[in-house]
Amino acid sequence: MNSAKSREVVLAMHDVSKNFSTGGQSTHAVCNVSLEAKRGELVLLLGPSGSGKTTILTLMAGFLRPTSGEVRLLGNDVGSCRPDDLQRFRARSMGFVFQNFLLIDALTVTENVMVVQEFCGTARKAARGKAGLLLQQLDVAHLGSRFPPTLSQGEKQRVAIARALANNPEVILADEPTASLESSQAMEIIEILRRLADEENRCVVAASHDGRLRDQANTIVSLRDGKIENITPEA
Amino acid sequence: MTLYSLRTLRGQPFRLVFTIGGIALCILLMLFLASIYHGVREGSIEYIRANATDLWVLQGSQTNILRGSSILLTAHGQVLKQVEGVSAATPVVFLLSTIRKSGRTSTVYLTGYDILTGTGGPPGISEGRSVLREGEIVLDRSFAAKFGINIGDSVMIRDHDLLVTGFSEGTNMFVIQYAFVTLSQAQALIGYPGLVSCYLVKVSQGSGVEKVSMDIKSELPGVEVYPHEEFVGNNVREMESGFLPLLYAIAVIGAIVLTSILSLILSMNVLERRKDFAVLKALGSPRHILRRIIFTQSLTLGWSGCLAAFALAGPLMGAVEFLAPEVSTRIGIGTFAAAFAAAGAMSFLSSCIAVRRLRSVYPLEVFQ
Repeated sequence: MNSAKSREVVLAMHDVSKNFSTGGQSTHAVCNVSLEAKRGELVLLLGPSGSGKTTILTLMAGFLRPTSGEVRLLGNDVGSCRPDDLQRFRARSMGFVFQNFLLIDALTVTENVMVVQEFCGTARKAARGKAGLLLQQLDVAHLGSRFPPTLSQGEKQRVAIARALANNPEVILADEPTASLESSQAMEIIEILRRLADEENRCVVAASHDGRLRDQANTIVSLRDGKIENITPEA
Repeated sequence: MTLYSLRTLRGQPFRLVFTIGGIALCILLMLFLASIYHGVREGSIEYIRANATDLWVLQGSQTNILRGSSILLTAHGQVLKQVEGVSAATPVVFLLSTIRKSGRTSTVYLTGYDILTGTGGPPGISEGRSVLREGEIVLDRSFAAKFGINIGDSVMIRDHDLLVTGFSEGTNMFVIQYAFVTLSQAQALIGYPGLVSCYLVKVSQGSGVEKVSMDIKSELPGVEVYPHEEFVGNNVREMESGFLPLLYAIAVIGAIVLTSILSLILSMNVLERRKDFAVLKALGSPRHILRRIIFTQSLTLGWSGCLAAFALAGPLMGAVEFLAPEVSTRIGIGTFAAAFAAAGAMSFLSSCIAVRRLRSVYPLEVFQ
């Protein structure tokens, strides 16, 4: 485990609400949510479908702006960032893991990991080297020249995690990272996310309804109807 | 992202071939029109250019021989020869005449010239020989090919039976072709032996062309006198004024069709790959990288179509000239370079149109 000193707050939400208006009706997707996520911590947003988990993730990433409240990521107010700054911020400081992996089918596994490095201007040779290293760490180096449609679900998620780590981000946001996986594969992915927080001192925020993640999370934020039911600190 | 751009194009092989084929046809159309334009341009003025004289003397207010009807008298020639500095004044007769051969008729631009000096005669003989005497005629080679006329055949103009002695080249004006007879033969066909169309004046060494021109105008107030290059320019403008607007209109239509095909295909590609673009946006892709994907695809399609058109241009133009000998096509490196640049410009424009589609792709879509 990391020392307490290294556990600075990298992501904070203060009294954040998000309303959606459709057909003159306002829906409260997230109501007065306040939470913090520290470096070296795996934070689990847990709740049933429609509880607001994904909305909170998208607010953290700046894909949505809060109706009220403030989202601060690495000291920056995400809600007031200009689109170009937000794009740079996402490329350099955030890594994303999606439920359906969302790899680019037209690119090989290695190229999928290289592509996000291109966003930060990394030279092609260096990007290839880094991609190889990450794929090796995630035990999928032998798949480097294959295309995503030929991989198993578990392999795809490992590649997606390698891609999320390609620019060495401080924060990893994972949306239902185990939902499309078989039990054994899901456990492997949970373990990897745990290691990212623990050994690499990253802040990992995972939105999931998968109870198996409970045992690995430092903090569990239980959600229902867009509100926090409770926050359980766990070691 | 170049690999992504190319692989996504390759992923739809039928569409790829269809798109490149459509672009190739558009560029082929433009190349074909350009080659016809150059062919007509050269064919229209080659005769004038080949008869390099110092001054062209025409009836007052006439500027060219392509679409004018200059009438002068043989007496003007006598006056011209008296002007100081004039070493030769050779008359030429031009008249539109109908040729009859085996029941078929067609119109030629009949030219009567002085066979002794050869001035005003055909720029070149591709087969047979020049006119040596009355009762003979030299036809443009494409005209002869079109009507199946051979050397030694006879053709009729009015009631004159003329023996074909040779075929000329550089005398195809696309809509009409030159034919050559002796000056006296042409005058006999007009019915007025004292008439000519213009004079080609040679200035003697040591005399200034400008001064001789002024002197001719002062001696013969009712005539126009043009230095050779100015006269060539007059004829080029005359030809272009009747031909270029049509070519421009067709070329613009071709360009619009090409740009439309490309932008539609690129826009369709963006919509079909919407998920990929949303993922790239979500992962933090700068806008210029996403635009570059579309631009690369656009240039790849545009220039592939262009190269396909280049490959087809030679055989197509050969086939056209074979099937329609009066169609003279000329194409050079400059035309190919211009087509390549135009394809690049249209590809850029198409990609700009397709890039607008990216605005409607939201990174939030990846969470749905």
